[in-house]
Amino acid sequence: MRRELRIMVQRPVYLMASVGVMAFCMLFFSTFFREGIPQDLPIGVVDLDNTSLSRNMVRQIDATQLGKTIEFVSYTEAREAMQTGRICAFCLIPSGMYADVLSGRQPEFTFYVNSLYMVGGALAYKDLLMMSNMISGGIQREVLRSMGLGDEAAMARIQPVAVDAHQIGNAATSYNVYLTNMLVPGILEMSVILMTVYALCSELKYGTSRHLLEKSGGMMTAAMTGKLAVYTVLFTAMGIVCDIFLYHWAGFPLKGSIWNMFLATFLMILACEAVGFFIAGTLPVLRIALSVAALFSTLALSLTGFTFPVEALPPAVRGLSVLFPLRHYYLIYVQETIFGSGFSGWYSQAICLLLFLLLPLPVYARLRAAYVNQNFPRK
Amino acid sequence: MKKYIEAWIRDWVQIFSRELRYIFSDGGVLVVFFLAGLVYPLLYGIIYHNGTVDDMPVAVIDASGSSSGREFIRKLDATRELAVTRSCPAMAEAEKLMQEREVHGIVLIPEDFDRCIAEGRQAHVSTYADMSSFLYYKNLSMGVNNVMLDSMREISRLPQPLLYEASMPYNSTFSYTVFFLSAVLLIVIQQTMFYGISMLTGTMREENRSLAVLPDMLNGKGISRIVLGRGAAYWLIYMAIGIYVAVIVPAVTGLPRNCSFGSVIILLLFYVSACVLFSFTFSALVRHRETVFVMFLFMSPVCLFLTGFAWPQSNFPPVWEAFSWIFPSTFAVRAFINMNTAGASLGMAGSNIVALSVQIAVYYILSVILSGIPRRQE
Repeated sequence: MRRELRIMVQRPVYLMASVGVMAFCMLFFSTFFREGIPQDLPIGVVDLDNTSLSRNMVRQIDATQLGKTIEFVSYTEAREAMQTGRICAFCLIPSGMYADVLSGRQPEFTFYVNSLYMVGGALAYKDLLMMSNMISGGIQREVLRSMGLGDEAAMARIQPVAVDAHQIGNAATSYNVYLTNMLVPGILEMSVILMTVYALCSELKYGTSRHLLEKSGGMMTAAMTGKLAVYTVLFTAMGIVCDIFLYHWAGFPLKGSIWNMFLATFLMILACEAVGFFIAGTLPVLRIALSVAALFSTLALSLTGFTFPVEALPPAVRGLSVLFPLRHYYLIYVQETIFGSGFSGWYSQAICLLLFLLLPLPVYARLRAAYVNQNFPRK
Repeated sequence: MKKYIEAWIRDWVQIFSRELRYIFSDGGVLVVFFLAGLVYPLLYGIIYHNGTVDDMPVAVIDASGSSSGREFIRKLDATRELAVTRSCPAMAEAEKLMQEREVHGIVLIPEDFDRCIAEGRQAHVSTYADMSSFLYYKNLSMGVNNVMLDSMREISRLPQPLLYEASMPYNSTFSYTVFFLSAVLLIVIQQTMFYGISMLTGTMREENRSLAVLPDMLNGKGISRIVLGRGAAYWLIYMAIGIYVAVIVPAVTGLPRNCSFGSVIILLLFYVSACVLFSFTFSALVRHRETVFVMFLFMSPVCLFLTGFAWPQSNFPPVWEAFSWIFPSTFAVRAFINMNTAGASLGMAGSNIVALSVQIAVYYILSVILSGIPRRQE
C-alpha cells in the first residue's frame, strides 16, 4: 500500500487522471447546462402580412421565456438560417392573414422546426404549438366576448380540456439535473475502470510486478488488496464528493437519502474495479488492455438508458446493458432520487453490482502467473 | 534550389513510409484506428436503430367513469407515442407501477371531468411523467397534448379562425437515430485519431527515439517535411476511414443524405487535415503511450456536447463557447449536420470550413514549434 501511494505521488498521471478529470467534468457539466432549460432560443419569423395581428403574434413569441424572434424578409432566407443551425425554428405568416381571419377564410400559417438539434427543436416546437393555439384562442375569445360570454366561460368553450403536467423527480424539467446527474457518475465509471487497468498492467509493462510481490511477502492476495485498497479509498472519496456536489451544492432533487447514494456510488466503484481487474487479467498487456477498457467504458454511456431508454433498443443489444455497472447504478439512482424507495426498491440492483465482484476470480490465476513470470510482451 | 526540393521530397517519402510502417506494426494503434474507427460508428447505428420510443406504457386512473373519459383514454392509446397498458383505481397503485418501471407515465382523469364538459366549465387532466429519461416525458406530453387538442376541436365546435401546420422537414419523427448519429459519427474520427497518434507519440517518447519528433539525420532542420510526412500517413488512412464513417455508415444505417457526395468529401478534406494537426499538437502533452486514455478519454463526451447537437449553441456559456473552438469536431459536426442531414449547400457551411482552415493553420504552426522543442532540450 505504501508503495502504491509512493508511485501515485511520483507519477502525476495518477492524480491528474482521477481527481483532475473528475473536477473538470463536474465543473464542465454543471456550468454547461446551468440554465436548466435553454432560454431565448432563436426563432425566425417571416412576416408577410405585416398587420397589427401579425405583429402581435411576433411580439408574443418573443415574449415567451423560451423564444427570441429574429425577423427574416423571405422564406428562403429563413430556411437557410435554419439549415445552417442559426435558428432552431421559424414561422411563416402568410400575406393577407389578418384580412382572411376577419372574413372567416381560415388562413393557415406554418411553422418549421429543425428537429436535428433535439433540445432546441423540441422546445421550439412546444413553444410554437402553444403560441398557435393561444393566438387562435385569443381571436375566438374576442368573438365569444362580443357574444356576451364571460372570460371563464369563454375559456371553457375554447379549451374544454386543460392539461396539468407534473414531472416526477425533476419538477423544473432541468437538463442540468437530468444529464449532469448521470454524466458525472459515467465519467467516474470510466476513470475507475481505466485507472484499475492502468495500475495493474503498468506493473507488468515496467517489469515491477516481482518487486511488488516481494514487498507483499510473495502473496498475490496481499499485493492486490493493498494496491486496490488505495484506489478504492481514493475513488470512494471522490464519489462521495461528487454526490455531495450534485445533491447538496448543486441542489439537485433527491427524494431518498444521500447515504444510500453514497452506498450506490461505492458499490459501483467496486464493480468497476472488478471489471478493470477482469480486463487486466484477460489481457495482461497494458496497451491492449487499456484500449479494450476504453472501448468498453465509452459504450456504457449509451447502453445505460438514461438518454435513450434500454427497452427501446433492439432486442439483441438490450441484454448487453446489464454488463455495465453504470446501468445498475442508474436503476438505483432512479429509485432513490425520484421515488425515494430506499433499500427495498433497489436491493436487486445492489446484488447485481456485487456479482461483478466475482469477475476477478476466473482471471486471478492468470494475472498472478503474469506477475510472477512477466511473460507477456511489454509493448 | 532544385537540390533542396529533391532532398525535401526524398525525406518526405521516407518519413511518410516509415510512419506507415510504425502504424501498421503497432497492435494497440491498429485496435484504435480500425476496430474503434470502423466498428463504433456501425455499433451506434445498431444501438440506436429504432430511433423513437413508440407505445410507451402508461397507467390511467379514470375517476370519472364517464363516456367522455373513456373516449379520451381510447384516443391516448391510439397515439403513436403512448399505449395505455394499465388502468388503476387509485393514484397509489399507479405510483407503485411507475416505481416498478412498469409504466413511465400516469394520466389522471378527475371525477368531475364529464360534468365540467357538460356544464361548459374547463376540465383538467393531470399527467405525471417519469423524469428518469426525457424521452418518457416528451412522449407523455406530446401524446396527451395531441389528444387534448383533438378533443378540443371536437367538443368546442368553434370555427378555427386560424389554422396552423407544423413541419419538421429534416427529422419528422424526432428520431434519436438521426439526431445522435449525425453528431457522433464525426466525433469518432477525431477521437480515435487523437488517441492513436498520442499512443504512437508516447511510444516514441518512451523509447527515446528522437524520431518521436525528429529523425536524427536531419539534425533539427526541415521540421516542415517531418510534420507533413508524418501527417500524410495519418491523413491517407483517415480519409479512407472518414469516407467509410461519413458516407458508407450513414447509407447502411439509413441516415438520410441530402447533399452531394462531393460536398462530404470536401468537408472531410478539411476536417481530417485539421484533426491530424490537432492531434500532433496535443499529443505533445502525452509522455507515455498509455496515459492518453487515462487522461483524455473523458473528452469524448465533452467534445460531443460542445458541438451543440443537444444543448443549443445559442445557450453555451461564453467560456465553453471559446473552449469549443479548440476542437475541429465542433465545426465539422455542425457542417455535417447542416449539409448531410438538413441539405445545406457547401457555401452555406462556409463559416465552418473557414474555422477549420484557421485551425489547420494554427495547429500546423503549433505542431512545427512543438516538434522542435524536445530536440533543443536534449
